[in-house]
Amino acid sequence: MTEVMSGPAPYIYVSTRMRVRKAKLIQREEYLRMLNMGLPEFTRQIEEMEYKREIDELSASFSGVDLIENAMSWNLAKEYQRVIALAPGEMKGFTRDYLHKWDIQNILTILRGKVQGISDGKIRAVLVPAGELNAPALDHLLAESSAERIIETLPQKQLAAVLSAGLAEAIGAHSFGSLENELYKYYYATLIKAARGGMKGGLPFFKYVVFEIDIKNSINLFRIRAQGKPNANTSEIWIEGGSYHTDELERLCSVANLDEVIDTLKKKIKSPVLIDALESVREKKPIYSIEGMLIAAQLNQMDNVSKRNPFSISPLLVYLERKKYEVANLRALARGKEAGLAPAVLEKYLVM
Amino acid sequence: MALNVKPTRSELINLKKRIKLSERGYKLLKMKRDGLILEFFKVLAEAKDLRNDLAIKYARAQEMIAIAETVEGSIGVKTAAFSASENPQIDLKSKNIMGVVVPKINPRSVKKTLTDRGYGVLGTSSAIDGAAEAFEDLVETVILSAELETTMKRLLDEIESTKRRVNALEFKVIPELIGARNFIKMRLDEMEREELFRMKRTKGRSEK
Repeated sequence: MTEVMSGPAPYIYVSTRMRVRKAKLIQREEYLRMLNMGLPEFTRQIEEMEYKREIDELSASFSGVDLIENAMSWNLAKEYQRVIALAPGEMKGFTRDYLHKWDIQNILTILRGKVQGISDGKIRAVLVPAGELNAPALDHLLAESSAERIIETLPQKQLAAVLSAGLAEAIGAHSFGSLENELYKYYYATLIKAARGGMKGGLPFFKYVVFEIDIKNSINLFRIRAQGKPNANTSEIWIEGGSYHTDELERLCSVANLDEVIDTLKKKIKSPVLIDALESVREKKPIYSIEGMLIAAQLNQMDNVSKRNPFSISPLLVYLERKKYEVANLRALARGKEAGLAPAVLEKYLVM
Repeated sequence: MALNVKPTRSELINLKKRIKLSERGYKLLKMKRDGLILEFFKVLAEAKDLRNDLAIKYARAQEMIAIAETVEGSIGVKTAAFSASENPQIDLKSKNIMGVVVPKINPRSVKKTLTDRGYGVLGTSSAIDGAAEAFEDLVETVILSAELETTMKRLLDEIESTKRRVNALEFKVIPELIGARNFIKMRLDEMEREELFRMKRTKGRSEK
């Protein structure tokens, strides 16, 4: 592989490669065709795609839809590792920071599994080494005897500090929910800090992170509203750094009038894609439908930003997210077909 | 019918008292049986509705977990499931239906808010919420159903034993007592007739 080390060339090179990879992802028409396939036909189709190697690798350990799901997760992890390796200079740092959420997910899974006495094999089966911590690093953590030792062994010391601060409470309360929320808040704070660090390419990245925080906060606001308990304490679930103040979001949970909520949300955002998505929420819709629309809005916004900034981090982020949703869609198709869900039901949950 | 009774007047009085008591008991038990059957049918109607509800909620929970696995994958669902370690609690009391002690179960801490479920809100999607909510609903209905099913089982047991006692009184105890009473009456009458005959004979002899 030819590597260009200076000037704008590395960005141009990587952005172009990401666009090419994105173009190879499965298109809407293909998903619609897959929706009408039976499970055996769909499985054969998957085996003919780029997931074949992972299916062959894991076929000794898994079977059926579990094999498809794990092979796709494994493929996603490998692809992300390849993207990290491909990204030049500052872009590599941003990419690592962005994929850090997979580390958080894996570490939490290991901690939860260890605390609940689940075997290492079972925990390993649900890890997706798509972040900075690759498979050997996660195996190393798994081999540790206690949650405290796992945290001590972590190479990311700041993350370890957040974990140490909340571990005793999590074990005491038999719940890692609060700790998980704190970790994701730390993740977004780290992203904002990295994007505002004055490095080249930071501004589009920063705008994207703010947008993602807005989407996350909006989805969680609608999730809280959907459960119909307006007085529930929600202070710990809001991510700071977005367009909305956390107090405002907490207040909106208890506002009965949906139009008022949407008007308030719309005041702070400029993205026409998100404004359109929020407008369509005015008609009362189930939460999965709202969530799907907001995620679609997020991806469309990313596409738009990527087109406006063709040689920035944006094409890379678009590819990472689109790849994530390709895997999610294929997994959804496999699981949905196995569960006997009707194509019309399944279609509602696909991000196309 | 093997009767082992002494044909005496006091025994007859005793038997008459026992017959009266048995008949009163029989009437009361019959009323209790009828009352229990009425109660049973009331509970049965509720239980029928609840069983239908349970079947609907079970189907919904199955669908929601399938959707959660569809959206989040088994990995996502298992990760969220690792978070829930607190078992649902119940308050167990008892109540009395016509002498039958039946449980009164109140589900506690089954339905939780999004932030109390144990999984992180920021790392999951609404599909997990949907599955958790559907299973909370199902568990709550299972608990309520356990109360009604146990009540029905205990009422049925009690109806069965009351029915046996009523039948025993109606077809065995009371007829036997009546038989014994009739036997004593007959023996006493016979003895009276013998006595009368004997006295007449004695009188006849003394007159000759």
